[in-house]
Amino acid sequence: MKLLSKSLKGYIVYSVLVLIVSVPVFYFELTSIVAEDVDEDLVAQKADLMAKMEKVIANKPFEYFEVFEPDIHIKPANTKRIKDSTYTILFFDSISKENVPHRVLESIVVLKSEWYNITIRKSLVDNDNLIFSIVTVQAVILVLIIVGLLFITRYHSNKLWKPFYATLGKLHDYKIECENSIELGKTEIDEFADLNTTITSLTSRNHEMYLSQKEFTENASHEMQTPLAVFQSKVELLMQTTPLTGEQAELITELSDAGQRMNRLNKTLLLLSKIDNDQFNVKEIVNINTTVQKLAEQYKNALNQKKLSLHTRVACNTVINANQTLIEILIGNLVSNAIRHNVQGGKINIIIEPNQFCISNTGNTDSLDATCLFQRFQKQTSDANSLGLGLEIAKRICNLYKAAITYTYSDSLHSFTVSFSNS
Amino acid sequence: MKLLIVEDEKELSKSIVTYLKGENYLCEVAVDFKTALEKTESFDYDCVLLDITLPDGNGLNVLKELKADNKTGGVIIISAKNLIDDRIAGLNLGADDYLAKPFHLSELSARIAAVIRRRRFDGNKVLELNELTFDTLAKTVSVNGKGVDLTRKEYDLFLYLVTNKNRVVSKNAIAEHLSGDEADVFDNFDFIYAHMKNLKKKMVLAGCEDYIKSIYGMGYKFDI
Repeated sequence: MKLLSKSLKGYIVYSVLVLIVSVPVFYFELTSIVAEDVDEDLVAQKADLMAKMEKVIANKPFEYFEVFEPDIHIKPANTKRIKDSTYTILFFDSISKENVPHRVLESIVVLKSEWYNITIRKSLVDNDNLIFSIVTVQAVILVLIIVGLLFITRYHSNKLWKPFYATLGKLHDYKIECENSIELGKTEIDEFADLNTTITSLTSRNHEMYLSQKEFTENASHEMQTPLAVFQSKVELLMQTTPLTGEQAELITELSDAGQRMNRLNKTLLLLSKIDNDQFNVKEIVNINTTVQKLAEQYKNALNQKKLSLHTRVACNTVINANQTLIEILIGNLVSNAIRHNVQGGKINIIIEPNQFCISNTGNTDSLDATCLFQRFQKQTSDANSLGLGLEIAKRICNLYKAAITYTYSDSLHSFTVSFSNS
Repeated sequence: MKLLIVEDEKELSKSIVTYLKGENYLCEVAVDFKTALEKTESFDYDCVLLDITLPDGNGLNVLKELKADNKTGGVIIISAKNLIDDRIAGLNLGADDYLAKPFHLSELSARIAAVIRRRRFDGNKVLELNELTFDTLAKTVSVNGKGVDLTRKEYDLFLYLVTNKNRVVSKNAIAEHLSGDEADVFDNFDFIYAHMKNLKKKMVLAGCEDYIKSIYGMGYKFDI
């Protein structure tokens, strides 16, 4: 969940709650205030009426009241007990032709020893309209305030977090091998400014570390060459010594093989650091088809030795803009893997399609673990000749050209597919 | 034949000298840039082995001086760097060959022999050894004047052993010589056995003495 939505979520929930609770509460409160007011009014009217009745009581012309005041009814009471009661009731209004709520005060009074039942009613329709209008207006205002606040907060937060998202975006795109450090824009917010300077210094430190590590790998590999050359030459001289027993010869052979392996390992590490150092920056139009053919020719002996059949299917002429040497290394690594991990008399298929090619081979293992396949020194074979660096190199070369390399296993074929994003 | 080995790593130059002693070479060693310049100015060498990274200067400058003085000897650059740029720069400056460290001494010996053969003025590109005659231009071998039909690989293998005659050439060195980087792919040295078997059979059939000896599975030796 985004930071902004997270912070706004609380606001929204609270606002909706307040809205839901406040509007009915407001409505009922207002209604009860109005009812009280009407009741007081009715009581006052009753007092006024009684005063008037007292003046005209001798003639008892109470029916006239009803002529002038249709809301007042006076009639002799049956019960002789002083009593006031108020209630709300619906009356049919002949003008508006609908039932209208009325507040009624029914009172039994005694005037000059005579008992009267007085009923005073008052229409509530105006009050209800008023209440409804007030509540509506209040609700609308409340909604407007809440929505406005949300929008302002959102807009403001967006603006506030903008430098943060800018920093995040740059961090996301940061590649340690390409940039020295992340240069971040100025911001007026202290925390973000602090964050930015920290990130800048962190990335610049990391890049320095990366450079020195890279330099170390390269230097170490270079420095290894000379002692390796000395070692190898001494082993060769040792071969020339006489007398030589079979036991010695065996030891010397093993030394020589170990030296050869060290040599290859070192060369491969150097190649890796050269790729990292972008020393293959000369690009040209590379034809995948002819490169595959060239390599197939080169590996003819190895193919024959294992009696492998190589099938190449070319769907179209695929060309890419890349370094010829690197593409040869890439395809060479995949082909030599396909040969090395193959079974005697197995097969290798190479399929070249627009912007991608696939090399698949039979093998004596089931599906390989694709997660650690492309990591260095992750050997999934006990073959001593395998360095565990071939696929790492293939991956690096693919990364360099923004190509994707994927491994799949189906129909007992191990397939490596390289797809280039653009030609 | 006079050789100059310009190499600051004493153990390596010592190995090279010891190995090449078997051939008819007179080897001198220069351990730094200054000595190398002095020697090349004063003497003529048939071949100079030149390390590029020297403690007091770039070996390529020795090469420049050699070419400026119109020296006729061959130059083989031996470098730990193996950078394509270095290789191109060296070859453009007139070096005959480039060998990256670490290398097999047998490979070095074969390259020196090839450079010297190429540089020979009398145009004689023929190598004679008892009943064997190698025409290094046509890449053919004949026994007592009669041609033997060898494949390209068999010829390369034979010449490689001959230029390292009387010394054991390791299987690793042969594999690398014959197949270059492709050697990585082979799980074993079966292909060497196969080539070797065919070569020996053909040579014996042609009436050549069986000079090639297997040495305890360690390597092979052209014993003469």
